[in-house]
Amino acid sequence: MTRKQRRLILIGSCLAVLGVAVALILGALKDSIVFFNSPTDVVEKHIKPGTRIRLGGLVQTGSFARQDLDARFDVTDGKTSIKVSYRGILPDLFREGQGVVTEGALDANGSFVADTVLAKHDETYMPKEVADALKKQGHWKDDYGKTPGSEGRKP
Amino acid sequence: MIAEIGHYALVLALGLAVIQAVVPVIGARLNDPTLMAVAEPVAIAQFGFVALSFAALTASYVSSDFSVANVVINSHSTMPLIYKFTSVWGNHEGSMLLWVLILTLFGALVALFSANLPAMLRADALGIQALIALAFHLFILVTSNPFARLQEPPFEGRDLNPVLQDFGLAVHPPFLYLGYVGFSVTFSFAVAALIEGRIDAAWARWVRPWALAAWMALTLGIAMGSYWAYYELGWGGWWFWDPVENASLMPWLAGTALLHSAVVMEKRNALKVWTILLAILAFSLSLIGTFLVRSGVLTSVHAFATDPTRGVFILGILVFFIGGALSLYAWRAPALKQGGLFAPISREGALVFNNLFLTTVCATIFVGTLYPLALEAITAEKISVGAPFFNATVGVLAIPLLFAVPFGPLLAWKRGDLLGAAQRLIAAFGISLVVIVAAFAFFGAKGVLAPAAIGLAVFIMIGALTDIAERTQVINQPSNAFRRAAGLPRGAWGTAVAHLGVGIALLGIVCESNFGSEHIASVKPSQTVALAGYDLTFEGAVPRQGPNYRELVAKFTIRRDGQIVGVMEPTKRSFAARAASTTEAALMARGVSQLYLSLGEPGTDGSIVVRAYYKPLVLLIWLGAIVMFAGGALSLSDRRLRVGAPKPSRSSILQSAK
Amino acid sequence: MALWFVLALMTMTAVFAVLWPLSRTRSATSGSDVAVYRDQLEEVERDRVAGLIAAPEAEAARVEVARRLIAAADTPEAKLNPSLRRRRMTAVAAIGIFPLAALALYLALGSPLQPGSPVSARATIPLQQQSIESMIAQVEAHLEKNPEDGRGWEVLAPAYLRTGRYDDAVKAVRNAIRILGSTPSREADLGEALTAAANGIVTAEAKAALERGATDAGQEKAQYFLGLAAEQDGKSSEAISIWRRQLERAGPDAPWRPLLVQSLSRLDPKAVPPGPTLDDIAAAQSLSAEQRNEMIAGMVGRLAARLKDDATDFDGWLRLIRAYMVLGDRDKARATIVNARSAFPGDSEKRQRIDNLARSLGLDG
Repeated sequence: MTRKQRRLILIGSCLAVLGVAVALILGALKDSIVFFNSPTDVVEKHIKPGTRIRLGGLVQTGSFARQDLDARFDVTDGKTSIKVSYRGILPDLFREGQGVVTEGALDANGSFVADTVLAKHDETYMPKEVADALKKQGHWKDDYGKTPGSEGRKP
Repeated sequence: MIAEIGHYALVLALGLAVIQAVVPVIGARLNDPTLMAVAEPVAIAQFGFVALSFAALTASYVSSDFSVANVVINSHSTMPLIYKFTSVWGNHEGSMLLWVLILTLFGALVALFSANLPAMLRADALGIQALIALAFHLFILVTSNPFARLQEPPFEGRDLNPVLQDFGLAVHPPFLYLGYVGFSVTFSFAVAALIEGRIDAAWARWVRPWALAAWMALTLGIAMGSYWAYYELGWGGWWFWDPVENASLMPWLAGTALLHSAVVMEKRNALKVWTILLAILAFSLSLIGTFLVRSGVLTSVHAFATDPTRGVFILGILVFFIGGALSLYAWRAPALKQGGLFAPISREGALVFNNLFLTTVCATIFVGTLYPLALEAITAEKISVGAPFFNATVGVLAIPLLFAVPFGPLLAWKRGDLLGAAQRLIAAFGISLVVIVAAFAFFGAKGVLAPAAIGLAVFIMIGALTDIAERTQVINQPSNAFRRAAGLPRGAWGTAVAHLGVGIALLGIVCESNFGSEHIASVKPSQTVALAGYDLTFEGAVPRQGPNYRELVAKFTIRRDGQIVGVMEPTKRSFAARAASTTEAALMARGVSQLYLSLGEPGTDGSIVVRAYYKPLVLLIWLGAIVMFAGGALSLSDRRLRVGAPKPSRSSILQSAK
Repeated sequence: MALWFVLALMTMTAVFAVLWPLSRTRSATSGSDVAVYRDQLEEVERDRVAGLIAAPEAEAARVEVARRLIAAADTPEAKLNPSLRRRRMTAVAAIGIFPLAALALYLALGSPLQPGSPVSARATIPLQQQSIESMIAQVEAHLEKNPEDGRGWEVLAPAYLRTGRYDDAVKAVRNAIRILGSTPSREADLGEALTAAANGIVTAEAKAALERGATDAGQEKAQYFLGLAAEQDGKSSEAISIWRRQLERAGPDAPWRPLLVQSLSRLDPKAVPPGPTLDDIAAAQSLSAEQRNEMIAGMVGRLAARLKDDATDFDGWLRLIRAYMVLGDRDKARATIVNARSAFPGDSEKRQRIDNLARSLGLDG
């Protein structure tokens, strides 16, 4: 084999692998990305039942109820609120009046069945999407955005 | 006073970094030996001052000096001593200080252990290293100063985030950073080589130990982080494809590719341009990881310190170093001479195959991690790319890569014999086929994928053993095997052991994710839950007082076939200082499998929600990483690679022989 | 001073690290790639001897490495080019510019004059100088370790009320009751905290606690809040009668008198009995702080003189203690407590109440 042929084989196999990778990435992106929506988005976009989405907002104060393993609560962005049901253990930082991101799909009645609940990881940290969604609805309180490092610095 | 000494030490380190980045590089251009020689003592001194600075911050934490803002925000006077130490790096400012501590540590190590390097390469590499340090010293002093003081010290600190009050934080970040930052050395050497325009096989030999050390630390760092998430987050998962995790996996993949391609460069003087590119990419990905974590552009369950205002500064550092290095690369690389020839089927070919797939996997993860950010920036649409994406892409790409692992070491350099290698792997094929059939029969028609993956793991493990068996000829000439084994270069042992580790980890991953069982229930005292052949009896929950928290301890008695095998006590802790709570899972090892209990909310009637997992062979995942680490350590101890080890001169050998 | 000395020492060390290599005439060791290729040749030979590679391959590898070795050896060594001038320039920069630049940057960023404040040094700060927040933090830290210390909870509850942490106050009083047992005074505190937590509404729960507290006729606080409850229930006449009775009991300078007068006049101005009227109080309020203190001091003086003559006025003693606290005179308040206790040698119940008052004012121990 000449040097040129070897190089062609090398380049050809690289392109083949890259082609496979690109096909895989595109295929997987089509199937497995999940869009983030605020409760208002869900209503305005007329999201169909069964479509997998992430729903984020604040847990409405006074809406949380639990019976054995089934938890029910409302997620709100101040304008719209959506009923969410979830079966399982909620994260430690899940609290009424705090930010939450849930993943799942709407059922036929327009309430949301979540199979994953992510609460923010730190009490000074608000999930970015939730913060943005709340800002849009004008319910942003500035102290949500306080980060541990931003206070106490010398003026 | 101690905090101010630390602050000043950091300023001095910045000053020394300026000198180290300028003087030796000018010296190298003018070929002035004295100016070049400035690099080493200054690099060591710079490390000394950063270490002093770090010690001062640690002292402030240990004595709970609340005139230091950073201590107030991340510490509490009643915290146990170990967490006072670890909270030094459990926050943004402190972790950046740890970052430069390790960066300058590597600079000092290069200064100490590179007497065998040409003076010019050493001066240039240390100059680049100092330039990186300079950027991060500035970043710390200007945007993230851990020594900022408060005029009126508050009486009590705000405590460390309870999730971070764990032994995992003591070990995970230092190792991760050792890995991340270790690749700065290969980066500096690559840029130095590009500046000088001389890149040859010798370069690879000099750089490989550093790449190996960084890779080892990163392997262990990622494994520890994964185990920490596994037991601390209480979800029973050990890998979430979280952007922060991906940020550590990408440099690891690039670094693994670098290790392999550097072998080709060292032995055959080939793949030079590619190896240099990988050296640049590995550290660039580390920098991107730092940017992703530290700038707050991500929504991540891991982010414990985020501040978008710092993002711009890090982005600047990122653009300067990555952009600068890649431009230099584009300018200089075409001028490099081509190296040795090889056939597609050869050791070199196998290593190219390895590199091709590793970098493709790395690129895939890169796309999956950054696509949501790009899409949001362009269309304002928010999406999340989760585990399904990564499982579908990485899973498929990893199969040919893993399948090829046993073949590589069995192929000869230049022109290999694939059929011959396959014949020598016949035993490995046979055993893994038997395992596949057995697994299929045992687990029933749960699908063919899991048994096949188990077979692949076994194939890799037996393949690694085959490599050693072949080299020592333990089958053909057992009598001489021991002598041969002793004479085998440690590098060869290292390869086999590391590949064995890959197989072990794969076996753990496959079994845990396919055959694990999970049960969620709300239990009342003396109620029993059955899981994977175990009976878990809830004995009741009692409150208990910890050093700086209170906890609810649920006691479970574990029985198998009526015999008590142990007691598990998962707890829920509440920390008054932050008004936060954490769930501490209970783990019980059964061989290399584990039972895992995690608590939910307690009910009003004495019941409690519990999540119970049985995780078969789960410990193999981290055991595999430890074995990989051991393989790296074996290779690093190979005399040929040992950095700066003085080689006995020929005459002294002759003398001692007399 | 010590700090500047240490900083100077550090600067000298840093400068030395730069000057030391400049002072050495012997150039540093320099390795070369020739050595690497020699090593490789040896390795090939070793592997061949060990039988790891076959002879023909070893030969091919040897040829290849040898070619690299020759190429490396052929590369002309660049001529070293030392220069005394550059060395001096570097030294001058290291001695002159470097310390100044470091010091300038440090002075811009650091706070060299501020003392450290480690926890060991802080514990000695006198109690009075600490802010209420830091005292709360201290007691909280103590209770975190000893959650069954009822006294701690009892101290914490009024502090929480004062800082507006009403929910925490409720929890603290509940803990105190759970651990130390129920007393009318604690029940009254619970009622007050519950009311505060409910934005001033006396809830059914609060009312129950207040009723338990009101079993002790001396618990004016419980009485007052029960009056408030009646008012909120729309039973004004009941509220008026409760408050009037209280007002009759209260001496002319009882600290809660203004509150009662104000509350009564809200419902029925005519119900306010003579005495220091609202106008008087308004007048007192319009006085400057100094004048007001004078006025109170005058009243306190009269009360003290009266008690000297007639030591049996129990409520008078309590009022006097409180009054001294209002005036910020802790020493006199303490002395009055001692006097009051000695005025009732045989009456343990009254002495207990004096002690309770002292405790609630933070005057014990």
